[in-house]
Order: sequence, then C-alpha cells, then structure tokens
Amino acid sequence: MTTFLVKRGLQAIPLLIGISLLLFAMLQMTPGGPLASSEGTGAQNAARVEQIREHYGLDDPLPVQYFNWAGGVATGDWGTSFNTGRPVLTMIWERLPNTLLLTGAAFLLAIAIAVPIGVLAARKQYSWFDYVSSGLSFVGVAMPSFWLALMLLFVFSYSLGWLPSGGLEDLRADHEGFSAVIDRVRHMILPVIVLAAVSTAQLARYVRGAMLDVLQQDYVRTARGSGLRERTVIVGHALRNAAIPVVTVAVLTIPELFLGSVVMETIFAIPGIGRLFVESANLRDYPVLLGILMIGAALVVVANLVADIVYSLLDPRIRYAS
Amino acid sequence: MRLRTRKPPLTELHGSLSRDAWRRFRRHTLAVVALGVLGVLLLAVIVGPFVLDAEPERIDFGSKNLPPTLAHPMGTDELGRDQLARVLSGGRLTLAVATAAVLVAALLGVVVGAIAGYWGGLIDNALMRIVDVFYSLPSLFVVILLVTLVGASFGTIVAAIAAFTWMNTARLVRASYLSLKEREFVDAARSLGVGDVRIVVRHILPNALTPVIVSATLGIATAILTESALSFLGLGFQPPHATWGGMLNESRDAVTNLGHWWRGFFPGLMILVTVLCVNYVGDGARDALDPRKEER
Repeated sequence: MTTFLVKRGLQAIPLLIGISLLLFAMLQMTPGGPLASSEGTGAQNAARVEQIREHYGLDDPLPVQYFNWAGGVATGDWGTSFNTGRPVLTMIWERLPNTLLLTGAAFLLAIAIAVPIGVLAARKQYSWFDYVSSGLSFVGVAMPSFWLALMLLFVFSYSLGWLPSGGLEDLRADHEGFSAVIDRVRHMILPVIVLAAVSTAQLARYVRGAMLDVLQQDYVRTARGSGLRERTVIVGHALRNAAIPVVTVAVLTIPELFLGSVVMETIFAIPGIGRLFVESANLRDYPVLLGILMIGAALVVVANLVADIVYSLLDPRIRYAS
Repeated sequence: MRLRTRKPPLTELHGSLSRDAWRRFRRHTLAVVALGVLGVLLLAVIVGPFVLDAEPERIDFGSKNLPPTLAHPMGTDELGRDQLARVLSGGRLTLAVATAAVLVAALLGVVVGAIAGYWGGLIDNALMRIVDVFYSLPSLFVVILLVTLVGASFGTIVAAIAAFTWMNTARLVRASYLSLKEREFVDAARSLGVGDVRIVVRHILPNALTPVIVSATLGIATAILTESALSFLGLGFQPPHATWGGMLNESRDAVTNLGHWWRGFFPGLMILVTVLCVNYVGDGARDALDPRKEER
C-alpha cells in the first residue's frame, strides 16, 4: 500500500512539470507580451523598455527564463508582479482565504443536499420525488451559474432587500465580534448557494445512480431478508458501498468549484483568486497569471491523486500490486 | 425440390444500424421532445431575424426599458432595442461558436486518438501524456487567459474552447482503435495490401465514430456554457455583437440595481433551455447508439 502511495505521488511530479512547460510556452506564444503597451511609444521609451526587460530577465533565452521561473516556484520564490512589484506568493496568499472559504462552504453544502436527495430518489425509484429531483438535477446541470446569480440577486437583494448584493462586509456599518460574523455570513449566502447549485445537481444524479446499482445487489436483499430495519439496510449496508464511487466524484468537484469561483467572485465582488486572475489577465501580469495557473493545476492533480487513493482505501476489493 | 425455406433477409428483421438507432431513440420521449425544441430554436435563430419586424440594433429611445409586452415579448433595453430580436441574433452567434468549437475539438480528438490507438507504442505514450497534461489544466482559467491575451474574435474563442474539450474524444477514439485494429476485417484489408492510412481512415474510422457522436453532442452543452461564462465576464465578442452570455453581462446593472429582470431573464433562459435539450438529446443518442446497453 505504501509503495502504491509513493509511486502514485511521484507520478504527479512529471505531470506538473509538463503542465508548467505548456503554460510557460503558451504565454510566450501569445502575441504582445508584458511590455506590449509600452513598446512603440517613442524613442526615449525604447531605452526604458529595454531597461525593464533586463531587470525582469525578459531578455534571457527562453529556456533560461523557464528554469529561473520553475526553480523559483520549487523553492518558494514565485517572482514579483509586473503591476504591483510585490511578491506573487504574497498577493495570492492574501486572496486565497476568500476563495477557499467560498469553495469549501459550497462543497459542504453540495454534499449535505445531494446525498440525502440522491439516496431518497434511489430508494423510491419512479416515485414523484424521484421524478422531481431527477428533473431538477437535469435543470441544475444545464443552468448557467451566473444567470442563477443574477436572478437570485434580483429577488433577494433588489426586490426583497434581504441580502446584500455583493462584497464581503457591510462598509457602512461598523460590525464587531459576533455581528461581524453574521455580516460575513449574510454576504456569503448567495455566492455559496449559487456556486454549490451545479455541483449539487451533478452529485445528486451520481448518488442516485450509485445507490440504484447497490440496491440491486444480492447482499441488500439478504440484509432485508434477515429482518434488518430498512434504515440499517440503507445507511449501514447500501450507502457504505455506494459511497465508494461517490467520494471519488465528490473529490473531483473541488477543482471545478475552485474554477467556478472566478464567475462568482466577479458577480458578487469578492476579492479572491478568480478576480485577481481576471485583473492580471487584463494587465498582462505574467508572473501572477503563471502562479495562479500553477495553483489551479496543482489542485486538479492533487484532487485526482486523492480520489485515486481514497478509492483504493475505501474499496477492499482493490489491492494494488506493490 | 428445395426443402430449405427462404429466410427473410436480415434487413427486414432489424433494419439498418441507423434505423435501429432511430427506433431506440424514439423510445426516449424526453430526448425526442428536446430534439424538437432544439429544431424550433435553430429555426427561430436562423430564420427569425428575417421574419421579425424588429432589428437587433435598431435604437428607439421612445420605447426604452419596457417590460415584456405583446409588441416586445422580451422587453427592451436602455437604448430601446428589442430584446427578442437581440436574443435571436445573439443565439446565432452563440450556437455558431459552440458548433464550430465542437467540430474542431472532435476533429482534433479523432486525429490524436486514431494515431495513438492505431500505431501505439511510443507515439501512443507521448500523446496520452499530453492528454493527461491538458486534463490537469484549470481549463476555464486558461481559456480566459488565451482570449484576453490574443484578443476576442470568432477564431480565438472557438480555438480556446476547442483546445480544452478534445481530450475526451481522443481517449474514446483511442480505445476504439485499440480493439478494432485486432479484428479480422482489418487483417483482411491488410492482407489485400491496403495501406495503413487507408485502413485507419476508410476501414476503422466508420466503426469508431459512434462514441464521438455522443461526446460531441454533449460537448455542445459545455461549449455553450463556456462561451457564455467568457462573455459574461466581458471577455467575449465586443458590442454591438452580443451572444446570450454577452447580453447577460450587459444586463447586470439593469437587473441588480434597476430591477429590469427581463434583461437578464430571457438570455439566460435561452442558455438553460438549449443546454438542457442538448443534454437530453445526448443522453438519448448514447442509449440509442449502444445496442448492448440494457434498459433501466
């Protein structure tokens, strides 16, 4: 088992190197460049542009630039922003908690809603509950999240005035202690619900499918036949086995939620990683862009790794040859 | 005297593969309804702007910010432009981008998958590692980046979306080629002296296309949602051209600060209905094209 974990973990390294090469090459291939807006604005500027170019090492050969950057990433020096002049890692670090809070809350909410719905729908297949929840989850998967966000803002913020329309805290009021927490929660309600909606729909469909597979198995009939309570059969026997594929899919939704936060942060004006990314893209701030892309890629790779590992831990039938 | 009675030809019993598939597809009521709705939508988007009296870019300050009425079923915006006309012409652009992206992605996926699956070995290994890398990229971020840096145009947006949706097709096609290349009809073709390229294109490809059709259909849904998200972030086509996502982006202030709900409601509803129908059709096609799949 340990050998498998180590082996599987080591496989992630060449993958991340490949990703970093591709991302780096992609930025180099796009026309323009970080200094596109400064170039061609007169002769006295040419010298200045050259100076900047040299300062940031932009005149080095590309392989040298790549190794300088990749070596820095590996040792914790992610370069400095072209725009603010501050270390990239610091800038990301400031924004990360907001995005993580949003992603994490949405993830928990999605699981808390999707699992009971999926189980109940499978338990009562072809009932009205099954039809309604399956229909809703189909709609949920097809729903553009930003549209849901706009409509909820119209209802709960504009029409009813119950919830704030954006930001992280009420700037007009001075909240302290407990009321500051309440204020923050009120600001997070809509973004979290909207971000969770699509994943909830996906997961609920998946849970239903996995439960239907398991409920057909002989051991479930045996468990029922031996007079166990329905609740014990569903929760103790069926759900535990249905959980194996579900956990894998659930882990893989985490990077999706992280990506989806770009849109949520833009609509709800939350200063997180996604907003930073869009701002940096407009400013062609390459070090920041590369940093965020690497974090996103690492999240995808790690989520896949965790999904694999959890799968092998949960399913006793899988034993990897060491 | 002939004792053997004539067997009815096979075609009478089963019909062709496509007729069989259509028969199975029709059992899927929702998929048939969805296909009908998509047909109506497509017709409306293509023919609508010619038939409709209102032009998408005609500015009319006399009738601005109107809620839905009979004259303007989807209301008007702050310039008095008819929203129905804009939704129809925007739908053209949305659907054109999505279709083009899916076609490009399918082509790329088929080529990569066929090469990897047929020739195998080192090429296969290298190509599949590239697929792994693309799978691990945070796709929405990279699409945003490409479109921002290169500039939003039809080609850029299509290419950026296609660049991150071809991998699934490549894996499916590779798997088909891996098993199909061992079959007798390929041996037969080879023993007749047919070249590799001809075997790959003429003999194996038609047999490997079924999963591509399904994944391409479902890919349209992803492409529409990605393009809409991109346009919603203000990174898509520049005004006056607006896809449904672009109209949603323009409507943000009107919906959340002025309460003009119709500005955002209808473009988003169009996205929802289209994606929903595409998903139903894709699901129906998957069941119809796979004869081995049993009914649930």
